[in-house]
Amino acid sequence: MATTEALDNDIANLRARISHLQSHRANLASVLLSSPHIATRLQQRSVQSDPLRQKASGVVKRQSNRITENTYHACAGVTAYKVKDPDPNAIDHGNILGVRIEVAIGGKYIETYNVLLNRPHPEDTATFRICHHTIPPCIPLQPLANRFLPMTGNDATTMTEQNLEKFGKALRKELVSWHLRSAAVKSLRAEAGLSDKSSEEELEQEKEQYPVGRILNAFVSSDAEDSEEEEEARRKRQSGPMNITEIEPDHSVREIRVTWSNGHIGIVRVSKDGQVEKGVVRDAAGQRVSSLERKTVGRMEGLVHRLTGGSAL
Amino acid sequence: MAPTPGLAGLASLALPDYKNVPHSYKLPVTHREVVRTFSKLSRLALISLVHQWLSKKSRDFCRPYLAADEDPDVDPDRQMYEPAHSYEELQEVYKELAARKGGRKEVVDRILEGDWRLGISMYQLATAEIQHLLEHPGALRWTAKRLAKVRNPKLPETDMEVTNESEHLPRFQAQTFMMNLAKELVPLMKSHFFITRIKTLPMTILRVYVHDSPYSTEASLAADTNGPDGAKAVFFIWPNGSPFVFVSLSTHLGQAVGDEGRHLRDVVLQSIPKAFSRPSARYQLQGTSFSARSLSALLTYRGPGKTNAAAGGWSIFADHSFNQNALDFVTAPRASQEASGSLENEMAVSSIRVGPGRPRRVVDNTETPETKRRRRVAEGRFGSSAKPNDGQGVEHFEVRIDDPFPAIPHGPGAQADVDTSEISNSGGKQTRKGRPSLLDRTAEDMEDIESERADVWVPDVRIAFSGSHVFAGVRQLVETGVVDGEKMPGWMTGESGVTQGAVRSGRMKTKGAVPGV
Repeated sequence: MATTEALDNDIANLRARISHLQSHRANLASVLLSSPHIATRLQQRSVQSDPLRQKASGVVKRQSNRITENTYHACAGVTAYKVKDPDPNAIDHGNILGVRIEVAIGGKYIETYNVLLNRPHPEDTATFRICHHTIPPCIPLQPLANRFLPMTGNDATTMTEQNLEKFGKALRKELVSWHLRSAAVKSLRAEAGLSDKSSEEELEQEKEQYPVGRILNAFVSSDAEDSEEEEEARRKRQSGPMNITEIEPDHSVREIRVTWSNGHIGIVRVSKDGQVEKGVVRDAAGQRVSSLERKTVGRMEGLVHRLTGGSAL
Repeated sequence: MAPTPGLAGLASLALPDYKNVPHSYKLPVTHREVVRTFSKLSRLALISLVHQWLSKKSRDFCRPYLAADEDPDVDPDRQMYEPAHSYEELQEVYKELAARKGGRKEVVDRILEGDWRLGISMYQLATAEIQHLLEHPGALRWTAKRLAKVRNPKLPETDMEVTNESEHLPRFQAQTFMMNLAKELVPLMKSHFFITRIKTLPMTILRVYVHDSPYSTEASLAADTNGPDGAKAVFFIWPNGSPFVFVSLSTHLGQAVGDEGRHLRDVVLQSIPKAFSRPSARYQLQGTSFSARSLSALLTYRGPGKTNAAAGGWSIFADHSFNQNALDFVTAPRASQEASGSLENEMAVSSIRVGPGRPRRVVDNTETPETKRRRRVAEGRFGSSAKPNDGQGVEHFEVRIDDPFPAIPHGPGAQADVDTSEISNSGGKQTRKGRPSLLDRTAEDMEDIESERADVWVPDVRIAFSGSHVFAGVRQLVETGVVDGEKMPGWMTGESGVTQGAVRSGRMKTKGAVPGV
């Protein structure tokens, strides 16, 4: 048994090593290809005569294109490109304008989004319409499109003006603020000591066992708690220090639900730029806790600090 | 004067009331719903369910039969299952059952005849059905609908505004929603609600068990076995962070829903947008022309993610095959890409070999240039979508062609013209039987068709594709050369993201300005 395990380990190690070396090779190759000398050396003689040289120059060309593209993507954040719709019946001979939006948080480019536009009226070359996109539905794409890319109706009596640049800017702002809010909630959870690695693993295990999550209309009647140990735990909870046991945002991170160990439940409303506008906190008996409610308002990054810092309760 | 006996008499009487069915009400173990649900679950699922029921949170609603409940008159020798003395003992029993192998019948019998012999509570039934649903994501057929705000013509247009505080999605607050829904339904029927978040998928499920009776007592619940209208539960799913609602069409696989059942389901469906609405923000349900069995397909086409408006060949924009990271400068093919490429080839070859029927010739590993070209064309048209095993299959796809009948190139043209213009464009509609299809042309559509050119003949041609995964099938046809991948219209790749639609000048007609929101 031990030998097979050892062999399996060896194989896994070798596999990891291979993939590591392969990525190292790819890295080295691109470094080599990006060197400016290569291109000049290749162009010293005619490329056509030598097939190897021809291939090499193609690879170099691809690398330099990639470098140019990435520079634009990284510096501009919103870039446009052209693609062709393969559909033979496509509007405007399949000419599509793509808008690519980069979201960078914490020194990393974490996500890219695309909006693809076509021109529904071939005679009117400046009017665009969104035909495909990869924007999640929690981003208000439709209102933004209504505002910045209005369509002229069939009668064409009212001339409308589109502003693609402003549309891109506004959309990027929405996307980035969404990601920033999610990142802020993540750090809030870390601050409250909720998202350490082991608990996540436990969660995974639990997930496999019970796919059914929190039941939202299961209100346990408190008088039915007959078990003594539970009663004790309850007393302990009420007298002991108050900890935050859960911080849970909704999908668009406009609402965050905070649960305390003593049965307090709070819901705070967050504006798009990360300001907590208002909050409602209720204790286990359903009474509002206005001292905590007042503390919720402010920047969302400081929510946990505000709620736990002055724990005079 | 003795008021107490009178009150006691009242309590035993069943009176119509305005209450909902609580979680703890029990159905007898022989009840049809109970038997049907429990006969479908696997051994592991049953044991997992029991652990869930015995956890402290749900004990209130899932009381097992313990030794303390035992009637001393009953002869203990006649019992098949010894009642346990505590919850902990029971948990141990089921842990043991989980550890050893055995049939599912053993566990079902233990649950129904042993530990819950007095009845299965509504809560237990609901958790069991949801467990089954998650285990078999294709068990029900779902229709995706959208919750859309009803415009108030009196109020100024606020739709254009995108401010720091504006909200464009309906706010889903489970408790408030449940309260409103119960208020809507209680005068019409008695129902049991069960709403839960799912950990493995980004969604919330609501199960409404419809009890068509004016009484909400346990006895009337147990006695309710009326007729063949078996389908009593309706499911609704809210994917997180999206305006969509998935509604289960028929509640059990292959089981027809009778008129009465359908009517009650419609009542529940109609009260959903009402329960969502607040003063000055009214909602209604709109169809989105999409229905499928697989939950992952629904989440791909109408879910919270990036893929809603990037189906078919546009899927390359949603995954990262088109967009490299802005700091990724490596152009050489990666190890993972190479591996997946060769793997794909192997899979393609083996899938051809495995097919039923007479054994086919083993396809050479060296592709001919022609097959390679076809594969590349298919890749261009379908992108990373429509793979046979991606679990995002659509079973039924139907389109209506609204293009005029092509002119006949040969023969006497004049006569052909006379022939076609005589035929009514709506011909054949009267002979159709049964319910009107969603694809039937409306008066608006007819006007639209005739406004262009009144003299053309536009026959009502419909094309339906059925199968376990329609678009993967089309992709395979393109790869084998049956369908010309370059001339194929775009709607055949599934890029329009609907399962029902009308095609005009070769393109799927779309409603609304922006797709997929």
